[in-house]
Amino acid sequence: MNNKKIMVCDDDQGILDVLQMLLESEGFTVFTEINSTNLIKQIHIDDPDLILLDLWMPLLSGDQVLKAIRSTNGIKDLPVIVLSASVDGDDIASDAGANDFVAKPFDLDVIVSKIKNLLV
Amino acid sequence: MNNNIEIYIQALNSANCGIIITDNLQPDNPIVYCNKAFENISGYSHDEIIGHNCRFLQSQDRSQPERQFIKDSIKQGKDCRVEIRNYKKNGNLFWNELFISPVKNDDGIITHFIGVQNDITDRKKAEHELREEKSSVERKIQERTKELVDNEAFLSSIIQTVRESLLVLDADYRVLSANSHFLNSFKVTTEDTVGKILFELGNHQWDIDTLRELLMKILPTNNPVIDYEVEHNFPHIGKKVMLLNAYRIEFEGQYKDRILIAIEDITEKKEIDRRKDDFLSIASHELKTPLTTIKGLIQLLQRMKPDGSSEKYNETLHKVSVYVDRLNILISDLLDTSKIQSGNIELHLDPFEIDKTIRDTVDNLSVSAPNHTITLSGTTNATILGDELQISQVINNLISNAIKYSPGSDKVEVYINRVGNFVKVSVKDFGMGISSQDKSKVFDRFYRARDIQKKFPGLGIGLYISHEIIANHNGTLWVESEVGEGSTFSFTLPIMKNH
Repeated sequence: MNNKKIMVCDDDQGILDVLQMLLESEGFTVFTEINSTNLIKQIHIDDPDLILLDLWMPLLSGDQVLKAIRSTNGIKDLPVIVLSASVDGDDIASDAGANDFVAKPFDLDVIVSKIKNLLV
Repeated sequence: MNNNIEIYIQALNSANCGIIITDNLQPDNPIVYCNKAFENISGYSHDEIIGHNCRFLQSQDRSQPERQFIKDSIKQGKDCRVEIRNYKKNGNLFWNELFISPVKNDDGIITHFIGVQNDITDRKKAEHELREEKSSVERKIQERTKELVDNEAFLSSIIQTVRESLLVLDADYRVLSANSHFLNSFKVTTEDTVGKILFELGNHQWDIDTLRELLMKILPTNNPVIDYEVEHNFPHIGKKVMLLNAYRIEFEGQYKDRILIAIEDITEKKEIDRRKDDFLSIASHELKTPLTTIKGLIQLLQRMKPDGSSEKYNETLHKVSVYVDRLNILISDLLDTSKIQSGNIELHLDPFEIDKTIRDTVDNLSVSAPNHTITLSGTTNATILGDELQISQVINNLISNAIKYSPGSDKVEVYINRVGNFVKVSVKDFGMGISSQDKSKVFDRFYRARDIQKKFPGLGIGLYISHEIIANHNGTLWVESEVGEGSTFSFTLPIMKNH
């Protein structure tokens, strides 16, 4: 997985820090984005292999961004794992076209194994 | 001839009525004869009577209109009958029923008058009493009527004041009355409403399918109807959520077949509930966000722990993560409780294999509770149509409780089997048990057994949530327990048909 790049988008800096530390320790290259409105632009710049995406964010919610990704040529097939503390997060995520869903607070092992599943 | 007169006189004296004869040819019409009964009635003796005009009997009571009537009759030589107040010699009043008839000679001249008198004091008294009685009855009726009118005014003021809309309909659903709360809430006037068919009111705005169903189908078979929820969009006042209570009067009598409807507007209450749910969702989301970071950081610390770190260091780190998990469960439970209470919890119904769900849950808990042995026995091979996540939450809850409340024991037994069309799941512990007074309350929201709170902190909602979840799945959850010996919590779930 040494050459894989992962983009993490969440409006909470603490969660970004945790995921960056985790994924770097697993050997991934990690990009973080705290402002969801910049995400698509950053995807084009950083060209990640997978995205971890929060749902409940100000300005532009995760499901809206995800729908935008799914309708943007070139990035529409990017694997996306949605992370959310919302009760109905998994329904919203699958409706928006997520490949997988992890409830917050999450288990790091679960995150890592789900990422590896999608990158095989 | 003399003999005959003697007999006539004897006959007259034997009569019960007083009889007098006056001589009309003499001035002032004096009494020339009176019989024995007349003496008795008047109290005067024969000699005191003869020669007087009859008027002496009226004593000072001269103003009676009957006197003029008698005078006129005598003048015109006609029969007359009057009832007149007379006075005995001792001054006592008696009512005299007096018949007077003139006696004419061959030339048609009135020579005498014959007066026949009856003492009708008793009858008069009875009549008077009857009249008194009648007027007293009338007075009572008037009082009673006033009371009824007052009562009705009182009741109607209650009906008008109560903060709930009330309608009375006849058997044809025609509005007989509507209280002010109804008129104000639905912005209508009495004229718009009373006498009209309910379903035709206000341009048919009350022609609501669920209301028709309530009145025509449910009410006749299920009387009374309590808290029947109806949601309707009224053209002018907007969407209303209403709780209807209806009652059909079935007893015989004036009000037979009337329908009473009480309408409680719960639109605002629903809105407040919704806002409370929204608030709790946001609060729980916001609380979980930093918790996610904390949990993540702890897991990173565990991953990064140096080789050869002390057992104590590892144990401490583990404890932090256990408490973070507990905090997370508390936050989720609060949200669940609120949702269950407002009936908003969503069931994601899918068929699932209950045996596998239970095995997975037991396996997961066995890992996190290494000091307890959780044994699983029995199989059902049954498929349940339900929300697997919620059922797993219930099993988790029951086993966690079993572990939590049996610190002196190290085993928990889980048993599953089929019971008719149901699966039965039992979780048995060998802990402290539950007293009989607490047993009935353990499924109440926020209930904590008194001596438990300090030793075993918690919110007291786990069993409440579990109970509601099982009930939502058409099953039952119950407990059997002996203090000091342990408890067995069991629940049933209906097995999916064709499985």
